[in-house]
Amino acid sequence: MGGLKRKPSSSAKALAKSKKKKGPHLPNSILKVIANQKRPLNSDEEDDDDVIGSDDEHGGDLYEYEEGVPEEESRKNNRYDRHDNYDYELPDDFEDENVESEDDDDGGNSDNDEAEGDDDDDDDRHTRMLQSLTGMPSAAFEGESKSKPVLFTEAYPEGEFNPTRDVLEGKNVLTEEDFLAPLEGTPGYQKTSKQIARMRKDTKHVVHAPLPKPQRERLERKAVIGLVDEEFSKWVHLVKKNREAPTVYFNQDVDLGYSTVGAIASEFQPRTEFEKKMASVLNDSEVSMEDHIKDHNHIAKMRSLLFRHEFKSKRIKKIKSKTYHRLKNKDLKNSSLGALMDPEMAKEEAMRQEAKRVEERMTLKHRNTGKWAKRMISRGLNVKYDGPKAAIAEQLQMNANLSRKMNSMRDGSSSDESDDEEELNDGADEDTPSRLIAKAKEKTLKALEDDEVPNAGLMSLPFMKNEEANEEAKRALEEYEEWENSGGENSKKTVNVSGRRVFGATAKVEAPKESRKDSDNFYDDSDSDNDMAGIEDNNIEPVRDNASPARNTITETEKFDDDVAGNPASKTTFDVAMFASGSWKKMAGSKNTESKKASRKTRAPIPQAQDKKGWRDEESEDSESEAEQMVDGVLTSTSKETFEVPSQAELINRAFAGDDVLDEFEKDKEEVLNQEVPKPEKPVLVPGWGDWTNIQKKRGISKQMVQKHEAEKKEWEQGLKTRKDARLKHVIISEKVDKKAEKLHTTTLPFPFTSKEVFEHSMRMPIGPEFNPSTIVGELNRPEVVKKTGVIIKPVKFEEVNPNDEVDDEHPRNHQKQRPKKKTSRRQGKVKSK
Amino acid sequence: MEVALEDNNLMEKVLPPDEQEIDVELEAKEKKYLRGEGANLESLKDKKLKTQLASREKLYGKSAKAAAKIEKWLLPASAGYLETEGLEKTWRIKQTDIAKEVDLLSSRNQYDIVLPDFGPYKLDFTASGRHMLAGGRKGHLALVDMMNMNLIKEIHVRETVRDVAFLHNDQFFAAAQKKYSYIYARDGTELHCLKERGPVARLRFLKNHFLLASVNKIGQLHYQDVTYGDMVASIRTGKGRTDVMEVNPYNGVVALGHSGGTVTMWKPTSQAPLVQMQCHPGPVSAVAFHPNGHLMATSGKERKVKIWDLRKFEEVQTIHGFHAKTLSFSQKGLLAAGTGSFVQVLGDSSGGGHSRYMSHPMVKGYQVEKVMFRPYEDVLGIGHSMGWSSVLIPGSGEPNFDSWVANPFETSKQRREKEVHLLLDKLPPETIMLDPSKIGAMRPSRRKEKPTRGEIEAEKEVAIEAAKSVEMKKKTKGRNKPSKRTKKKKELVENAKKTFPELEEKNIAGKKRRIGEDAAAELPTSLKRFARKN
Repeated sequence: MGGLKRKPSSSAKALAKSKKKKGPHLPNSILKVIANQKRPLNSDEEDDDDVIGSDDEHGGDLYEYEEGVPEEESRKNNRYDRHDNYDYELPDDFEDENVESEDDDDGGNSDNDEAEGDDDDDDDRHTRMLQSLTGMPSAAFEGESKSKPVLFTEAYPEGEFNPTRDVLEGKNVLTEEDFLAPLEGTPGYQKTSKQIARMRKDTKHVVHAPLPKPQRERLERKAVIGLVDEEFSKWVHLVKKNREAPTVYFNQDVDLGYSTVGAIASEFQPRTEFEKKMASVLNDSEVSMEDHIKDHNHIAKMRSLLFRHEFKSKRIKKIKSKTYHRLKNKDLKNSSLGALMDPEMAKEEAMRQEAKRVEERMTLKHRNTGKWAKRMISRGLNVKYDGPKAAIAEQLQMNANLSRKMNSMRDGSSSDESDDEEELNDGADEDTPSRLIAKAKEKTLKALEDDEVPNAGLMSLPFMKNEEANEEAKRALEEYEEWENSGGENSKKTVNVSGRRVFGATAKVEAPKESRKDSDNFYDDSDSDNDMAGIEDNNIEPVRDNASPARNTITETEKFDDDVAGNPASKTTFDVAMFASGSWKKMAGSKNTESKKASRKTRAPIPQAQDKKGWRDEESEDSESEAEQMVDGVLTSTSKETFEVPSQAELINRAFAGDDVLDEFEKDKEEVLNQEVPKPEKPVLVPGWGDWTNIQKKRGISKQMVQKHEAEKKEWEQGLKTRKDARLKHVIISEKVDKKAEKLHTTTLPFPFTSKEVFEHSMRMPIGPEFNPSTIVGELNRPEVVKKTGVIIKPVKFEEVNPNDEVDDEHPRNHQKQRPKKKTSRRQGKVKSK
Repeated sequence: MEVALEDNNLMEKVLPPDEQEIDVELEAKEKKYLRGEGANLESLKDKKLKTQLASREKLYGKSAKAAAKIEKWLLPASAGYLETEGLEKTWRIKQTDIAKEVDLLSSRNQYDIVLPDFGPYKLDFTASGRHMLAGGRKGHLALVDMMNMNLIKEIHVRETVRDVAFLHNDQFFAAAQKKYSYIYARDGTELHCLKERGPVARLRFLKNHFLLASVNKIGQLHYQDVTYGDMVASIRTGKGRTDVMEVNPYNGVVALGHSGGTVTMWKPTSQAPLVQMQCHPGPVSAVAFHPNGHLMATSGKERKVKIWDLRKFEEVQTIHGFHAKTLSFSQKGLLAAGTGSFVQVLGDSSGGGHSRYMSHPMVKGYQVEKVMFRPYEDVLGIGHSMGWSSVLIPGSGEPNFDSWVANPFETSKQRREKEVHLLLDKLPPETIMLDPSKIGAMRPSRRKEKPTRGEIEAEKEVAIEAAKSVEMKKKTKGRNKPSKRTKKKKELVENAKKTFPELEEKNIAGKKRRIGEDAAAELPTSLKRFARKN
């Protein structure tokens, strides 16, 4: 206590310190004493301030050495009892003292300090007395006591902001030990020391001193800005989208509520017990209703199928006919499945098919030519009843199937023709055309016989067809016989078969010369026959099939023109519209010999006609060949020669006229160019200037003038070069500026554009309704903002926007979306996902 | 495994061949409707502009696609053609052959009208092809409805008729007669006598500009606006008499063929020809333009027909041994040429130039005066010395008409409405230029860029005025002295003056001096003392 009184300045400092550190009051004062005066504690009791002062002036070593023992001892001696007592009585005493007086309060606080002796008490009492007498605050008296003993080494007063030198030097800084030291030996000391040790180790829970305000605020701002950014960055996409959108819509959405039953159902929430139960059953069960129904249906279907199959097999099993089963098994074997599996079988099958086809093509079966079919047709039963009708149709179908070309069946050959050709060649090699013909004859005979036999319901649709075929077959037979008789005498005769003809390559045809001759002969006969009969063929096909060389004959046309003959090697096939051509009548009337001649003509190698011969020749040819009358009211005439050949004089005239014209044009061009890009004048001296002396003449034109002229000339040349017609000798393109048309151009680029090219490209498309489909015109001409009058523009609402998807104009986003609509959509999505 | 799956997907995506074909076809059409390519947006730095243009381009693409689809699927008719087999040639097919094959309605388009008294006849069709005007040299004018072959009006003017032309519709037509040209109404009433032009040799009407262009005997070209009757331009060609004149339907440029073998092209706003081309060494006998304006056919008397590309002004093709008195391009690009009593039609079927397509010999002695394809029909009208004929040329006409452009089945009400629309859409004469797509683009840079002295002066004056009229701020007390204000104003005016190049001359002088100084500075120190001091 006494310490406090004696050194008020230090005590004040201690007070401040204690306040700061929130430690107990007394130890601070003690510390002060120790720090400042360096006086052993026990000397307190011995007192004498002066001595203390001298002590201070002693070295610290001595003091420290002495400090330990006496202090402890004294403590022990003095306080043990008191402390005990104090501990024991504390609650009562404390309160009492607190209530009673300041003094007591002091005493209460300074629990450890009573050891400091009576002197302090005396002083205290003294000041109190003085206080009570004078009525002045104790502070006034404290000054006296303060001034007495203290020695100041510093010029400034010691205080909170003026720490002592030791503190500054970091020497005698207070540590926990310092506080603990006096407590050593007291009960609970161990505990507290441990606690402190732990505290020291534990750096985690150290509460640091708060940072200075600006720093702290800066940190806070930094933290906050992150949050705010996050918050606002959510809007960035939305804002960006709105900015980039070509059109912003402010239309009021008319919310019609739920439009469909599904939407309402999706909104349904179970409320009552029953509903909840149902919902739980529906949602929790693994199999959904739909699946269940599907399964059920599937099972039912399978069952019914099984049942039917069973029934069928039972029925079949019941059939006792052996033939039926045999046939059935055979069918199974021959079915396409088997054929597919076995290549051997497939080949066989193909062969069989081919044979069938050949037979069909030969016999003309299945064309409803049979007795039954005829009868059916004649009586009209095929129309009346479905059964015969179907049968007849089936036959026809079969006929069509069988007589169709079947290239796919062949392995190597590409087409019928080539096969035929091979056949032909073979025939030629073997030199047995007679055999071939005999074969054909035989087949024809067979066919004839076949036709006589009524095959079960195989008749053809056209009633007379069969007879025709028969007739033809008979004719063919006659021909064969005739040929056999004649034995290939007559040659170099061609056929005049109208209809489809094939022009084979000459090389190909000419290679087997002998055979061709033969075939020619043979066909010549047929030709004559044809003439006799006057038949327009059509049904000659079977015959021709048998005697395939027919395909390769070159037929003649009367109007075989140069172009045709020009490429005799072409393999093209074409139909000669003989009857369509006007010249046919004439030809028909003409003799056979004529046609022969013509044919020979064509056969002979004709040099390639020159296309560049000019049209005139061909025209004249045309006109020569054509003898036309006025037909159907169209006036056409024989234009024999529409272009008269110009006379020599005329030609010369023209030739001379041309030169002049060209020269003139060149002159014209020069003139125009001079006008538009004027040629710079040559620098000349003023006549007579400087004549009186020849100095100037010697100098000539000044250098400057020459230079200027040269520059101008260069510019002029450049100007000529950059003209559009610079390279076109025959063209003058005026580059005069049309002042009236200038207003149709812009002088400057409109604002956002920076390059002329881009601007002009952007202007290339018209956007009006005349040039665009009506579906796009609206979009092309839509204003930037679409808003109905009277609609309040609401602030933008937040919505999730995918930054990657682009703005589509077709489904413009509405900026005034209604809440409920969105909700439903989201919920629907959820339901779906479930 | 995954790769295989992807492959499968790819396989699925590959379209069947016919669909691919359709795609290719559509793409070609789309390209046509895109009218050229868009600008290269990559080079743009302005992001905003870039996005704007990109979205715009997208819309254009959409529009083109829609248009292509419409053309592909919705246009009802397809163009006719002559198909030959094997060695047959299209030009050997005669009108009689065609007559057998075509339907009744088309076969009605084959006929000859024999009018031996007033021949040779000039022809003109309306834009829709519904009406035909025939003008006999000896004064016979006939207006015929081609749909029902009804003679609407027939008049005889009792003097030479050199040419006839319809105005914007069938209600009016013009005839170039012996001394003057006249405008008649549909019912044959004479509406106007155009005396200013003199004896006109050829008449043509520019539909979009409502200009009646004519060239007279002394080689003067006149443009008259038929809406208000003003003579827009009268130009002396200076090339002598000509009776070869044609209008480029694409840009309205009038082409004249001259006896010197040149073809000149004109517009009403300039006295000099836009283009002069030396096409033939001999006189030019006929000129014709392709409807798309890119091709021109000319015929010279030296028995050559030439086809020119007007974008490059280069010859594309020369057809030898053939001279045409009259040429005409059809809507689909067939070229008909008539000489003597023979008519030849050239086609560009393969894209490798025009070649013979059809020919039609007339009765000997008939002299073809004019051939002209009837729009929207596969019909060629031939005016000749014995009347006029009409023959079928399959594939010549545009199969689908746009009723907003030209409607052959127009009612009178529609016609009236159309007339108003046409007048509203009338183009001023200055829009006639070689490349009308350049309208709205940047003005082509002038050769002479320097402004004249007067212009500079005027500009300077304006700037000075602007500087003088600047309102001075009212400043606080002490800073608002009148002397300061006047000083400030003077300064402003001086600044305004400074920006103008009048000072340049002085500057140049100053520059010169400085150059001298520089020269002195550049000299080595030892020589510096010799530098001239001005």
